[in-house]
Amino acid sequence: MSFLQIVSANSLSMAISALFLLWMSGILLGRIPNRGRKHTITCILSGLLWAVLLAVLAAVCYRTGFWRLPYGIGRIIWQYFVLVCMALLLGLVYRVSLRDCGLSVMMIELLGSYGDLLSELYLYGRLFDLRVPAELREYLFWMLGIRPGCLLLCGLVIKKSGVGRIYRQWLGQEKIHRGILLLLGLYPVYGEALDHVINDPGKNRAYFLLPLMMLLVIHMIFVYVGRDWQQKQYILAQETSLRQQAIYIENMEQIQAEIRRFRHDFRNMTAGMYLQAREGDLDAVRSFIQEMTEDFDRQAGDQIRLMNQLANVHMTELKGLLLEKLARMQKEAIHCELEVLHPFEGTRIRSTDLCRCLGILIDNAADEVRGKKDARIHLMISSQDGCTTFRVKNPLYGEVDFQNLGRAGYTTKGEGHGIGLESYRKILGRYGFVFPFTAVQDGCFVQELKIQEV
Amino acid sequence: MLPIYICEDEEKIRDAERVWLEKQILIEGLDMEIALCTESPKELLEHLSGEIRQGIYFLDVELKGSSMDGFRLGQEIRRRDARGFLIYVTAFQDLAFETFRYHLEALDYICKKDPEKMYGGLSRCLRVIAERVSREQGEQQEYFTVRTLDVMRHIPLKEILYFATAGRTHRIELHARQERLDFIGSIQELEEKLAPQFIRIHRSYLVRADQIDRVNLKTREVVLKNGEQCPFSRNMRQRLLNCVNGSGLPFGQ
Repeated sequence: MSFLQIVSANSLSMAISALFLLWMSGILLGRIPNRGRKHTITCILSGLLWAVLLAVLAAVCYRTGFWRLPYGIGRIIWQYFVLVCMALLLGLVYRVSLRDCGLSVMMIELLGSYGDLLSELYLYGRLFDLRVPAELREYLFWMLGIRPGCLLLCGLVIKKSGVGRIYRQWLGQEKIHRGILLLLGLYPVYGEALDHVINDPGKNRAYFLLPLMMLLVIHMIFVYVGRDWQQKQYILAQETSLRQQAIYIENMEQIQAEIRRFRHDFRNMTAGMYLQAREGDLDAVRSFIQEMTEDFDRQAGDQIRLMNQLANVHMTELKGLLLEKLARMQKEAIHCELEVLHPFEGTRIRSTDLCRCLGILIDNAADEVRGKKDARIHLMISSQDGCTTFRVKNPLYGEVDFQNLGRAGYTTKGEGHGIGLESYRKILGRYGFVFPFTAVQDGCFVQELKIQEV
Repeated sequence: MLPIYICEDEEKIRDAERVWLEKQILIEGLDMEIALCTESPKELLEHLSGEIRQGIYFLDVELKGSSMDGFRLGQEIRRRDARGFLIYVTAFQDLAFETFRYHLEALDYICKKDPEKMYGGLSRCLRVIAERVSREQGEQQEYFTVRTLDVMRHIPLKEILYFATAGRTHRIELHARQERLDFIGSIQELEEKLAPQFIRIHRSYLVRADQIDRVNLKTREVVLKNGEQCPFSRNMRQRLLNCVNGSGLPFGQ
């Protein structure tokens, strides 16, 4: 076969791999890249370039005999090289961190090899002589029919089984178990070793064993991760629920006390109103009704309003954080207004990172207003049009040094502080789809976090 | 003349608003008129389908008998009239007004439970709008408009100190006197758009020329009036020197 023929055949194979990579990454990362026409064109062109370049390099490796190096070293190096290229392509398409790209391509490689190995059952160890037209046709049938079919089947099983959701939960962990990282990272090495042991040409060809072993490995990873994650989530949900109940009961008791007090005042006030009504003083009656409704709003309305808004936060971790912060602010006589217009279900950034960032912003706002007369903070959570906005606003009593804001060690609170905003910036630096905003507006300091969700 | 639109499902309130606003326009001699008074958001939007003038909109939050609430209606109006004044007239005192203000740039909200307060609120809004319109007509301020996902931000150009590329591709950091924000863009395009007020001193920095306080040739840094420092590159040096020579800025050693 000529070099060009090899490149052409490889390009087709690589294009199928690229399509599988994009499809699988969409399932695993749970989204489709959507950044406008320019980005789509860049992605398509990069994908094509990726397929052609790898096809040329593969042809060179084939011709130079690189893949025939002893102990499969050539093939292992090639696989790692392809993995790096895949990770870079994913990074370009999704603009996610290199860590996420790396883990995703390793997982996709593992899942894809399952489809590949399945398709190789058809070959059953046959080697095609591509100079013979009949064998070339059969090889092309395998490459363009059987292999994509097996990859499609494999992808459908993964999609239907909900592996993507478990994978995202796993990816969302701050620290990933070293054993699993090793298992994934060394896959090209032990895959090659297993291939040597099981598919020894001199022995009985038990091809089906390798796919089954792969299935077992994947199953073990997800069962372990899934169970571990579920347990942690269960404990977290229980803890949050308990905290929530305690604060809820406390709030209800406060509302009850306010209503009791209001009932007492109400009796005295209605006695006065009765006399005013009997004298025909309608203006006085009207102003009484107005005062009474305002009193009620002031005494019990704020608490009820806060609980109503909080009910729109459906993300357990965030709800827990808000409850804690609200309870603390209440003790410190800081009036906090919360607005959650639409139900908030969750966001793309890790829940731990979100809670840390919001915690820093709320703490900074509370530090600024603590001990001041009429201390108040305003929090807004808004999810709409494919993005989520978190906004923390507080009145400003001093100057904000924008020049140093976010720099290491900058603080207005004295020694030992100043790590909050620095770590806030550091956390946000990991996410390409988060847009921070800081401003002084109408005498208030505003900190905002905007997250692109699609 | 500024057109006023009222969208309110309760007939009594709607009429009361209209009568009061007409009276206020007459008394204060305001350059405004009631263009439409309706219960139907659809009718209001149809009315806005032609040529749009900057308008004033008094909107109810809960519109009975309509699939659209006040928030959605506000969004639709914003698409048609980006500079209009939105005022929400509501019976709910616990309206999430900051969210309305944030997403719709709503001017105010008025509680309609108490007629006196409602009339007071309507008059206050008309006064604020009249003041704002006359101020806007007087000022010639240039704005830099940037979209960050679902919101448009307008930052006075004279407030901006510099733009810098962040670590990520196409990510730009805007540093203003009282604002700092990230957005997706290209420094090249910004340079073309904002020249000559802004000069490109480095591959990653586009600085407002009149904010440069001094140039430190030794450390190859530009010091801004607020004390911030931005590096400049060798090949930009001559261009920067030409620029600052004209303005008589000092050089550090």
